[in-house]
Amino acid sequence: MNDDFIIRAENVQKHFGRGKIKALDGVSADIRRGEVVVIIGPSGSGKSTFLRCLNLLEIPTGGRILFEGSDITDRKSNINRYRQKMGMVFQHFNLFPHMTVLKNMTLAPMKLLGKSRAEAEAKAMSLLERVGLADRAGAYPAQLSGGQKQRIAIVRALCMDPEVMLFDEPTSALDPEMVGEVLEVMKQLAREGMTMVVVTHEMGFAREVGSRVLFMDEGKIMEENVPEELFAHPKSERLQSFLSKVL
Amino acid sequence: MEAWNAAAPDWMLRAPENVQDLFYKLFKCFLYDGRWRMYLSGLKNTLLLTLFALLLGVVLGVVISLIRVTWDKTHEEMRPGLGKVLLGTANAISKVYLTVIRGTPVVVQIMIMFFVIFASSRNKLLVGSLSFGINSGAYVAEIIRSGIMSIDAGQMEAGRSLGFGYVPTMRYVILPQAFKNVLPALGNEFITLLKETAVVGYIGLSDLTYAGNTVGGITYEYLFPLLAVAAVYLILVMIFSGLVGRLERRLRTSER
Repeated sequence: MNDDFIIRAENVQKHFGRGKIKALDGVSADIRRGEVVVIIGPSGSGKSTFLRCLNLLEIPTGGRILFEGSDITDRKSNINRYRQKMGMVFQHFNLFPHMTVLKNMTLAPMKLLGKSRAEAEAKAMSLLERVGLADRAGAYPAQLSGGQKQRIAIVRALCMDPEVMLFDEPTSALDPEMVGEVLEVMKQLAREGMTMVVVTHEMGFAREVGSRVLFMDEGKIMEENVPEELFAHPKSERLQSFLSKVL
Repeated sequence: MEAWNAAAPDWMLRAPENVQDLFYKLFKCFLYDGRWRMYLSGLKNTLLLTLFALLLGVVLGVVISLIRVTWDKTHEEMRPGLGKVLLGTANAISKVYLTVIRGTPVVVQIMIMFFVIFASSRNKLLVGSLSFGINSGAYVAEIIRSGIMSIDAGQMEAGRSLGFGYVPTMRYVILPQAFKNVLPALGNEFITLLKETAVVGYIGLSDLTYAGNTVGGITYEYLFPLLAVAAVYLILVMIFSGLVGRLERRLRTSER
């Protein structure tokens, strides 16, 4: 096994209501450098909860998360430092509506990495160039389409030069004709070697760029394989019935 | 009357009786004996009182609302320790403050402040400012808290996911949006405060209302002094509403 993992989740648990509801029931997974790990599963299976546990937006009630070898679930660790290296993209974009696109992208690099305005803006503009939105730098989020907002949200996270990118159903809130433009940006990112963890319902994306697919249900990883195998020869009954519904 | 006969120009004395009577009343309510100065110093006191109370109210309001919001949002996941005890205590004090201040009339509060708590102080403006500031702070706190709670939880998550701590996320992301949302309600609270200071006469501070009342008492002519006082309040409120409206429009640029 390759030891160069960026994130290692060990027996992660998330219980609500004093253990009555087990959103995550002992999930272990390694995310290795350069991998694109796609997490699929029915709604309520805990896949989003698991992803949100990776950068502690959700605090696990049990188990450990290691980021580049350090235990970030340790109460003494400074989670803000680790989060700078873990970009996150949300289903509902969560751009800051009171700031222009450029300000959205330069805020964190300037305040957290101590970059100068010129430096941060140059980086932001080159990223905007890459996703074809350089002309919208001065616009406010309310003036953008859903697909544009999500592409901005992706490059906003990239402005921090993250080691890994977490995607929480990035295309689920988009109109169908806008899904493609967002997936294209994500594929480009994958081709450039970015480590990515993606929770999605886009099976095509999983098949095309996924290096590994995790199938989750009832708070557990039920099956895990390279996409070709997982989609062609699902082993468990749960996965078979899930795939028959979504494919 | 002699003063009037001496001061009035000839054409006024030659005017019909009822018109002359009107001029005479205006003269004794506003000009005679430098009475306009009473209104002016009353206005000065009203404005100073409102300004100090407003500043204190905003500071108190922001602090209290942040304590309340931070406790409500984080106490379940906070690790036990001194920080949690301190925040919990501050939250409990804030809640008592809000309940007591919002649950009792402001007139009673200023009287308690002046005649009981600061019984040895003769500085009515200071005690008045303190009372109205403490009173206004409770309302401002709830207004700001409602503004912070109206911001989608995703905004905090987005800020945190970029690596910002709780406080910087509040400062750069949440509060600017919350402030914009509550500006109309805050403007309303400030207008209310300005008008509420009219009861400061209960502790004998000569504000604008007090001046009108005093002149009325001296001249036995209440109509004109009180109308004038009402008009001044109205003008002040209109100016203030205009300023708030302007600020609102400026902050609204990002919405389309």
